[in-house]
Amino acid sequence: MIYFILQLLVLTGLVITAVAVIWFKDLISAAIALGASSLILSLQFYLLRAPDVAIAEAAVGAALTTAIFIFAIRASEREEGYK
Amino acid sequence: MNWKMSRVVRTVTDIMVVPIIVYGIYLIIHGHLTPGGGFQGGAVIASSTALLIVSYGSFRDYKKDFSSMESLGLTLFILLAIFGILLGATMFHNFGAGTGGLFGGTVPEGINPGYVNTGGTIPMMNIMVGLEVAAALSLILWMMAKASDSMEVEA
Amino acid sequence: MRKVFAMLALLVIFAFLLLAVAELRGEDGGFGEPVHTAMDDYFLQDSQSHNQANNVVTAILFDYRGLDTLGEATVLFSAVSGVLTVLRKVKPVKRGGKE
Repeated sequence: MIYFILQLLVLTGLVITAVAVIWFKDLISAAIALGASSLILSLQFYLLRAPDVAIAEAAVGAALTTAIFIFAIRASEREEGYK
Repeated sequence: MNWKMSRVVRTVTDIMVVPIIVYGIYLIIHGHLTPGGGFQGGAVIASSTALLIVSYGSFRDYKKDFSSMESLGLTLFILLAIFGILLGATMFHNFGAGTGGLFGGTVPEGINPGYVNTGGTIPMMNIMVGLEVAAALSLILWMMAKASDSMEVEA
Repeated sequence: MRKVFAMLALLVIFAFLLLAVAELRGEDGGFGEPVHTAMDDYFLQDSQSHNQANNVVTAILFDYRGLDTLGEATVLFSAVSGVLTVLRKVKPVKRGGKE
């Protein structure tokens, strides 16, 4: 039962952060929401008993991808859309 | 432009970088016993590079070192793979398992606590892949930070 | 007419995928109990005596399916080469005039 409730919470958080990535107009906010989504996804991998994938997802998705996205946004426009 | 962050962030970075690197090395050299391995450990080590670049805003010119580390790791990995052919077996043959040399110990059948000095070529390949992945991801971060003016290169 | 053909093609592909998934299920119909277990049993039983390592996942990654890991390392190497090529400094070349 506690396993079921935990998994329900994690999946709800995953959907909420994934919608937030599309909903934000500020690209840095969207990149940070993508990092949070990767972190929750790694928790879900751990609950499904795949700790290898969980470690790789947490390191690459939450740390490195967010840093690379933010470096790329700093070199271009911060707001979404054409000018 | 100098993008040094505040003293609190820099102090926390100084404290946290060494445990992150030690955890990455642990993941690499215990890859044949616990979950983890070369790719995961290398990514964890590269995230410490990201932490240093973001908090200090400056990094030394390690481009040549990262590049040669990456090439060395990939070359040694391929050489270890081809060495199986030279011994008369297939590519990626585990020629070191149970021979008594480096990483050549034997494990008992069934559930056991795990011994580091086992595994044959698997720990060696883990170390090579970890070297390559850590250097490659650090090099990508370094180049992206320099090209987007987020970092100044120390002399 | 084109929409009818597209719908037919979609239905055929869907039926094929559904049959493939139904064929993968066990005779008891339980999810998570696959039919073709010969390879899984081989890895799980013999990996410890073949490789003298406890972690079966790492043994598969670096011994049985080593070429896959080699491809992954090569992909990372080409990604780094692409980043270095795109972000390098280029000297401006004089065009026209004397050569």
